[in-house]
Amino acid sequence: MNIHNYEKLWLIAAMLLIIGFIVTITYGSVGLGIAMIDDSEETIDPNALEDHERFGDLGVHQTGDGEYDVNIRAYQFNFEPGSSALGVHDPIVVPENSEVTLYVTSPDVIHSFSVVGTNANTMVVPGEISVMTVEFNEAREYGILCNEYCGSGHHGMEGVIEVVPEDEFHLFSVAGVDAPESAQAGDEVEITATVDNDALDADSAAVSLEIGEETFENELEVDAESSASTTFTVDTGALDLEDAVDIDWTVTVEDGSEATLEDGSASGSIALETDDDENDDTTDDDNDESDGGDQ
Amino acid sequence: MSSDADALERHIGHDEFDPVGTLALIGIYFLILLLMWLFMYFVEFLGNDLTVVGMI
Amino acid sequence: MSAYIDQFPEEAKVIRSAFYASFFALALGAAFGLIQTLHRTDFVRIIPAEMYYTVLTAHGVLMVVTFTIFFLVAIFTWAVTTSLDRGVEDIRFTWSWYGLMTLGTAFAAIAILAGFTDRTEISADVLFTFYAPLQAHPMFYVGLVLFVIGTWLAGADWFRSWWAWKQENPDKRIPLPTFMVLTTMIMWYLATLGVATSIIAFLLPWSLGLIDTVNPTLTRTLFWFWGHPVVYFWLMPAYMMWYIMLPKFSGGRLFSDPLARVVFVLFLLLSTPVGIHHQYLDPGIAEGFKFIAMTNTMFLLLPSLLTAFTVVASMEHGARQRGGEGYFGWLGALPWRDPVFTGMALAGLMFAAGGFSGMINAGMNINYLVHNSLWVPGHFHLTVGTAVALTFMAVSYYFIPQVTGRRLASKQIALVQVVMWFVGMTFMSNAMHRGGLLGMPRRTAEPEYAGFQFETAIGTVGELNAQIALGGVLLTLSTLLFIVNMSITALNDRDDDLPSNTIPEPLSGPNEAPLVLDNLKLWTAIAVVLVIFAYSLPLASIVERGGLFGPGGDAFPMFLELADSFGFALVGETLSAMVSSLLETLRTVV
Repeated sequence: MNIHNYEKLWLIAAMLLIIGFIVTITYGSVGLGIAMIDDSEETIDPNALEDHERFGDLGVHQTGDGEYDVNIRAYQFNFEPGSSALGVHDPIVVPENSEVTLYVTSPDVIHSFSVVGTNANTMVVPGEISVMTVEFNEAREYGILCNEYCGSGHHGMEGVIEVVPEDEFHLFSVAGVDAPESAQAGDEVEITATVDNDALDADSAAVSLEIGEETFENELEVDAESSASTTFTVDTGALDLEDAVDIDWTVTVEDGSEATLEDGSASGSIALETDDDENDDTTDDDNDESDGGDQ
Repeated sequence: MSSDADALERHIGHDEFDPVGTLALIGIYFLILLLMWLFMYFVEFLGNDLTVVGMI
Repeated sequence: MSAYIDQFPEEAKVIRSAFYASFFALALGAAFGLIQTLHRTDFVRIIPAEMYYTVLTAHGVLMVVTFTIFFLVAIFTWAVTTSLDRGVEDIRFTWSWYGLMTLGTAFAAIAILAGFTDRTEISADVLFTFYAPLQAHPMFYVGLVLFVIGTWLAGADWFRSWWAWKQENPDKRIPLPTFMVLTTMIMWYLATLGVATSIIAFLLPWSLGLIDTVNPTLTRTLFWFWGHPVVYFWLMPAYMMWYIMLPKFSGGRLFSDPLARVVFVLFLLLSTPVGIHHQYLDPGIAEGFKFIAMTNTMFLLLPSLLTAFTVVASMEHGARQRGGEGYFGWLGALPWRDPVFTGMALAGLMFAAGGFSGMINAGMNINYLVHNSLWVPGHFHLTVGTAVALTFMAVSYYFIPQVTGRRLASKQIALVQVVMWFVGMTFMSNAMHRGGLLGMPRRTAEPEYAGFQFETAIGTVGELNAQIALGGVLLTLSTLLFIVNMSITALNDRDDDLPSNTIPEPLSGPNEAPLVLDNLKLWTAIAVVLVIFAYSLPLASIVERGGLFGPGGDAFPMFLELADSFGFALVGETLSAMVSSLLETLRTVV
């Protein structure tokens, strides 16, 4: 076969180029440790995510010093947690200087989980769990979007990751609040809040109680992975109640712990007893509907 | 339409034809590919932090 | 010496019909393209956002399945009949595969277009990739199956011609154009096994309610088993045009026939075992399989890089015969006023750029940067959208007069048309690549987000959108000029001075090529072995992980709910268990 010398030269150059490309990619994998999404996780039943040890417990979990897991459900057409722009779910909140492993799966169709303007980008396939470990070294916000067509609302599927300074990051949640269902106007009531600390270090929580128009705040030291309680004593006579029949209260822990916003507060109401108890039935209902108010 | 034979000034056979122009063009293309690859990998890609790392 | 229509009047009719079908798809696809480009850049929004995806499905399927493949069967039929210098064996058979392809297109198109109306439940808003668990109406899948069977029969037609010719010419080398057709078709037979299995074994029965669930990773992998080689199925006819028509129109001769054969053999061998590079970011597929796919993909660059040299050298040969001088001065001696030449040359130039973004796509970890971003449609509008589409439009200015016997309506408008395509695509594709690097997603109706904005280092998002919209408008105008020019040509006067339908001899002829290059059985066998190497372990692993029918989940939307699915699910589980135990046994034995 008659191949011109120039063409032989080009053949060699082309081979060198190809090998150079493969070498570059291998350097990225081996030298820099850039890992691919792979088959390290077992498959999962997309119709039973809530029974799964990981996806039954969505959100941020600390696994070590500066190491966190985030379990995320990508579904038509939101990320849970993540899709906070329209108030559907909490944002994903992680601390600065952390190594975070994102676990993402889908209960319906194929999605993606892509952190905008970065290399954190994975397909999310029902039945499979995508795992990405990334390092967050800068306190800032990142957008998340789905870049795989997933149905008619695909373009609205977005979310946010908030990377906050370390001292503003907490894993507190309000585990329960013990409050009386009713009280005589003018009496003192005691409201006891129990706070969980899911972090692997003891942390000091600022617990606040809003009741009537007043706000009270207690400092509470909570050990690593445990709970602690604090009691607020409120003189209902000192509250500006006007003609209210109920006193609404809300317990919140540490504004910085958005990661657990959903359990980050609890609220309920106390029925005010005057001369008769006509309102008893309705006040019971109020308490039942309250968000974890008397667990 | 066809330019088969019209406007031909000469006939050049295989052995008397050295595609120097092609070599020059393809050499430039090679350099563009090489430089663009390096730019895309080491500037655009590696500079595009967050990057997925293995479990350490 | 005479025009094609005088040599093969019967074949010319089929070829004509195939060209017209492809132009019809091109016109419709372009109209949808315009709606999309103006919608997603927020210049004009005449449809509700959710309808964007119906438009996108129609644009994708019409352009890359109907337009390209109908064009391909037209020029492959031309290539085989011209280079073997014999008509097809049985013209009724030729019409039958044409009919089947048309019927298949009609089925798929009706299913897709029904998505525009609420009067029927039928829809197929699944895009070109139809990833399960997104589900289309069964008619969509049936249409695809009929279409693919049509192409299989077309291939059989060309093989039949070759076998008949070989009986009469036992000692001759396969003529280069026929060689290109045959190698491309072998690649196609091998590749379509993937999509055929995906549709016939899983997606169609699932859409009919015969099975409850599918394994999304498995059907997706089978799709890409076909989905990458299909890009070479689009590209090979364009390469054929560059190898045999570009030298002709440059006034030169093909530089090397043997190397052209080597290139097509390499495409046959390497086009299929690479599909997993579309799944670099998929969970459930081991990194090792992805690396192997990458290595194969990188070597698949070789035949394209060789093509660049051979084709440019053939053009240079023409230019020097026309009096061109110097290192670069010869470029000026090329026939730039000829739309056939200029269209193909500009298409080739854009392919050089598209080749580069393809090299980035091929890189395993750098794929994190660009995967599913606007970069990707930016890339393939350079490759299939220009290297292929512009070459096809350019050669149409030669072929339509050849197969109709009519005079080309306007050579000047044709020249404006090909240049306008090039300019429009430069704007659109460049901006898409840049947008992709900012993280803008592809396939998204309204990429405007409430919680964040895309950060640009240079320019603004508005400027990128303006370029995309401007490019899209120019491309639509260019398509319009093409369609009008072709329509007038088809109705024009008879041209009695058509150039004769010939292909010039290469400089280095087929007799220089080693005989083994023509051994199609050998190359087929090696191609099969490579596919088995690349795919058997990943497919086994996917089935072992998720089962043949997946770990559960529903269809979206669910078209049919049938009560009798239980029995089929049972069969599925049994099969899956059998495959798993087979794997276990194999592992013990090993």
